[in-house]
Amino acid sequence: MKIGDCMKRNIIFISSEATIREAASQMTACHIGLLPVVNRNRKLIGVIGLPDLLSLEMPAFFNLIADLDFVSDFGAAEFIRPTPEQIDLPVTTLMQPARSVSENSKMLHAYGLMLKHNLSDLPVVSENGQLVGIVSRVDIGTAILSSWDKIEASNP
Amino acid sequence: MIPGILSSLIFIVTLYLIFSEKLNRTIASLAGAVLMVGLGLIFGFYSEEQAIATVDFNTIGLLLGMMIIVSILEPTGFFQYLAILVGKHSNGKPVLLLVLLGTITTVVSMFLDNVTTIVLIAPVTILICEILGLNPQPYLMAEAILSDTGGVATLIGDPPNILIGSAAGLSFVDFLTHSLPIVVVVWLVALAMLRYLFRKDLSQTPTNLDALEELNPGSALIDRKTAIKVICVIALAILFFLLEEILHIRPALISLSAASIALVWVRPSIQETLKRIQWDVLLFFVALFILIGGLQAAGVMQVLAGLIAQEKNLPPMLLGLILLWGVAILSAFVDNVPVTIALIPIIQGLGSAGIPTTPLWWALVFGTGFGGNGTIIGSTANIVVASLSEKTKFPITPKVWNKKGLPVMLGTCLVASILYILLFNWLK
Repeated sequence: MKIGDCMKRNIIFISSEATIREAASQMTACHIGLLPVVNRNRKLIGVIGLPDLLSLEMPAFFNLIADLDFVSDFGAAEFIRPTPEQIDLPVTTLMQPARSVSENSKMLHAYGLMLKHNLSDLPVVSENGQLVGIVSRVDIGTAILSSWDKIEASNP
Repeated sequence: MIPGILSSLIFIVTLYLIFSEKLNRTIASLAGAVLMVGLGLIFGFYSEEQAIATVDFNTIGLLLGMMIIVSILEPTGFFQYLAILVGKHSNGKPVLLLVLLGTITTVVSMFLDNVTTIVLIAPVTILICEILGLNPQPYLMAEAILSDTGGVATLIGDPPNILIGSAAGLSFVDFLTHSLPIVVVVWLVALAMLRYLFRKDLSQTPTNLDALEELNPGSALIDRKTAIKVICVIALAILFFLLEEILHIRPALISLSAASIALVWVRPSIQETLKRIQWDVLLFFVALFILIGGLQAAGVMQVLAGLIAQEKNLPPMLLGLILLWGVAILSAFVDNVPVTIALIPIIQGLGSAGIPTTPLWWALVFGTGFGGNGTIIGSTANIVVASLSEKTKFPITPKVWNKKGLPVMLGTCLVASILYILLFNWLK
């Protein structure tokens, strides 16, 4: 089985010309955690995820202190909101470089890639780099597991 | 003649590379040291044996021992524990928070490496400020400035002190009796100036005091047992530092003994512990010793001594003040370790020309220590707090430092100069 067999083809994505604010409302409306960012030719140029957007709210100490177990309340930091200037910037300012696979990629390889890089969604691109689908860890994982049906029962 | 020119040239080029930051200081000094020995062999002015003999193993041993101790203490969470503890005791009162955080950072860094102290306490400071909705700038700058100022008080507080102590034969007790009284006054002046310069930020009203209340210092102290053991060892080491002259032992032996006791008692993973040692700093010191040794072997020092001897008529007090301010200004812009190592042979040269050097050594101690407060790049602690603050909403920029840190440096150097004049006979 290939990625093309288990990926979602109706993809929610965002244009590289959109703002961070638009990305946030898109994510809220569709209840998703990752948006592929594409250019005018629908070529994948990056991804933007929940952590990238929420980094605008996270207090500085979050990244500075390894173990936060001694903190039970973020106090004033709980009320940090991004400024209008921050969220009206183009989405490309927070965008991360995308890892992607092709429709013909094998499943276990794609799953391994996600595991290694701690990704929960993986955009799928055509040969010329156009976004054609998206696949989640669950999509791939269950597709692989479904083949287990064909494993004969052992006879003790 | 050729050895003198060659060795001076190597030394000047190395210093230039270090000060201009064109090359990492350890790489530059190591390359310079190797070149010095190589050319020394070819031109017959410096042998390998001589080069090794110039390395002051008392300085290296003292630094290594203290670094091992800090390295064992670091992962216990002790530093974070202290910061959270005093943060809670401030009850969110900005001025009290500034005084307590400044004091704890100073006291710890009087005995332990101040860069490690700052690296571990500053993030907790940012945490406390963000929880309380305060601007962390005053607290971070106070920690850097006050710990650098306080470090002047002890032999082990700051690497230049170790170098000067070793070269001039000044003991731990000498520092406590001569430097500490002056530092106490200067430190209080620095604190008062910070309080005044940051008066606007320190009148902010903190919010969310409950969140501060709920911080649990106990759970930040991950390894209480090890922390207690290491602190016992540090106390023991300080006791022996105080008895150094009576027992006729060198600080390096005390520090390495303390490190060994701590290692045997705690038995940490030695690989992990040694990974946290700043080997680049130790190597940098060794290389600088070899460089200076080359200058001495080539006879540059004798020439220098001869030159300075002509200025013998300068009153010693004035010479001391010129040194203090000259070094302070230099240290504000460049790393104070090469400044110190470069000036040690010059002061020794003055000594051999018959000028009393003890007050000059103290001038060097004060100049290197207080000068670093002047600019954002004046000391490693300054660089650390500035780079941590960049991640917050209130980055400490060079402009901010020039407005708040520079006046403190000028004020502390002025007060130090006045005390230097008043106590000149005592410092002799």
